[in-house]
Amino acid sequence: MAYLTQPNYVKYACSCGLLKPITKMYFCRHCLKLRCGYCVCHEVDSHYCSNCLENLPSAEARLKKYRCANCYDCPHCFHTLSIRATSVTRNSEDGSKTASKLYYLACFFCRWTSRDVGIPDQASATGRWPERENENSETIASLIEYFKVLALKERIDKEKIFHTPRRNFSHFSKLGMTAALVRKRSGLPSLPLGRDADLTSLPTIVPSVASETVEPLPAEMFTTAPDLTKVTTLSQRFSQPDIQPELTSEMWPIHKHLFIKRSQRCRECEHNVYKPEYNPISIRFKIQLAAFYHIPEITLLSIGELKAGVPSEIVVRLCNPTQHLTSVDFRPLPSAMEEDLLWERQVQLCEERERKDSQRTSLTPGSLNTSLGSSLTLPASLTRQLTLYEPPRRVRLDVSSSVQLPSCGIVLPPRDDAAEYDDSAEKHNFQDDPEVVVWRKSNKAAVKFSITPDKTLASNEEVKCGFVLGYGYVNTMAALEGHKEPQRVELQVKVLLSLGTVVSDE
Amino acid sequence: MELQDIFYNKQEYVETASGNKVSRQTVLCGSQNIVLNGKVIVQSDAIIRGDLANVRTGRNCIISRNAVIRPPFKKFSKGVAYFPLHMGDNVYVGENSVVNAAAVGSYVFIGNNVVIGRRCILKDCSMIEDNTILPPETVVPPFTKYSGSPGLCVGELPECTQDIMIEFTRSYYQHFVPLPQPDKHGAK
Repeated sequence: MAYLTQPNYVKYACSCGLLKPITKMYFCRHCLKLRCGYCVCHEVDSHYCSNCLENLPSAEARLKKYRCANCYDCPHCFHTLSIRATSVTRNSEDGSKTASKLYYLACFFCRWTSRDVGIPDQASATGRWPERENENSETIASLIEYFKVLALKERIDKEKIFHTPRRNFSHFSKLGMTAALVRKRSGLPSLPLGRDADLTSLPTIVPSVASETVEPLPAEMFTTAPDLTKVTTLSQRFSQPDIQPELTSEMWPIHKHLFIKRSQRCRECEHNVYKPEYNPISIRFKIQLAAFYHIPEITLLSIGELKAGVPSEIVVRLCNPTQHLTSVDFRPLPSAMEEDLLWERQVQLCEERERKDSQRTSLTPGSLNTSLGSSLTLPASLTRQLTLYEPPRRVRLDVSSSVQLPSCGIVLPPRDDAAEYDDSAEKHNFQDDPEVVVWRKSNKAAVKFSITPDKTLASNEEVKCGFVLGYGYVNTMAALEGHKEPQRVELQVKVLLSLGTVVSDE
Repeated sequence: MELQDIFYNKQEYVETASGNKVSRQTVLCGSQNIVLNGKVIVQSDAIIRGDLANVRTGRNCIISRNAVIRPPFKKFSKGVAYFPLHMGDNVYVGENSVVNAAAVGSYVFIGNNVVIGRRCILKDCSMIEDNTILPPETVVPPFTKYSGSPGLCVGELPECTQDIMIEFTRSYYQHFVPLPQPDKHGAK
């Protein structure tokens, strides 16, 4: 919860250069790098309605304009509308009275009902509610049709120019990127190709005509005082962009927007780092590679009084979430010059790899993406992204204190879920320096540091300290990929701690 | 930042064999209809209305001060009927919050001063921020954060919410210690 409600005191540097709390990061087991929400590919797995929790396949969701067919939001307060029943007695032809039920939509928050705007009550609770026709829908449909054909025509023209005998289609097929597949992947219907397509005639569209005369404002505008309770707010108008009602009497129920389930994919190696189950109410994952389960977690336990230029003591807790014994050590952050050198070397490496790749395929990923993207008039996000060698970004850690880091490494035992129920508290025989390790408990250890806030800090300025955390990681993927033993690798991550503000001397 | 120790008066609390810690200053109506499944903390001045219908909580739940847990009712043509309220494991209910939900899943965080209207359904791994009013019959899907009045979805929760909530409720239970046992670093 600390992660859900408190500010993030401990941040880790992602390989893309951003600082994030550990809970919002992923750890790719294949390239052994930290990833955050900004450096993974987000893919929509399924759509579901947040009210009825019904799962919709993406084709159907698109057809329904990504809205639920049965659930509605209140146009007034945006809460979900509920169906209410009233019983009415009707006089039938033979004079007898029959009781029947009629249904209407009601908001249980603001008490808006579908009767307020004159929507007739329905005889069945599950029946479709009347839909309001958009007066421009015909024009919009004809425009969409026109531009679809135009886009197709332009694409075929372009491919004619593009089509040279030397052109090798295998690049596309090898990467799974034929035009038809891209369309399929992004959920667009396949286009008629070649001779099947009738491109001789474009559908006619009626262009809009500007009129000279503007209708004058109605006389009531000047004679009656405006009743603001009957005028809609901007957010109410924008929630129905096709109609944009100006008066509350024109507000109709809004079909509920669908929510999505996403899976995340590492951009570099294209392996999934997260894959949820399709069921919208499931909280399980098929693939779950959060940093929270793979790299040692650091939690602040206590902070001494922070005074500018005066050493103070902080205690952090280290926790090993993995099933393997690990050891951690602390190193100072590299100086600005070292970091520059390191960064330049990484950029060089990245460029080299990219060059090698482009030589192999004779088509750089970037150009392939753009040529395909533009020829298909698809947004780049819809096509499958190719392996990207992103140049690393500089990690900006603004520290405002110096840290006296423990020189020795600390061994953390593996996580044991049964430890909680184990009364015979096992005694590990770790040769810990009592000056460094305050206490130990199963896979956790509390470690003491001494920090000195910079002398230049004025009172109420924030104290931040940082270090490089080195940790051993057991790569079990290696065993799966053919190596015999799980491989042990040493990894590093930069950590920034926000310790609070400096107190003044008085 | 790790939780600080929360001290309670040993005379005020009853501890059961399964580890439930229930304050004597609470109103537990119809206690035969209330099931606390172990390591549940019910703090002072909380109200649990077991007299209306069954109330069942999972393990490691925390019901804070002044919270009200009240089974929801539904109006029928012949009067009203109360429905049982089930709460999953590792649920936190903040101070001064009123829970009228039909079901609260596991790993749910409910902030302070929250009103959860009758027959709401809170799915697993969801969060209701402080000062939220959830109108009746709201459904909160997993991994979403609801806030405001009326409560609307304002964001999503990290995928590892389950483990965050397990760790939080467990550490809350560990840090909920009787007076006077000052404990400097939370180690026991």
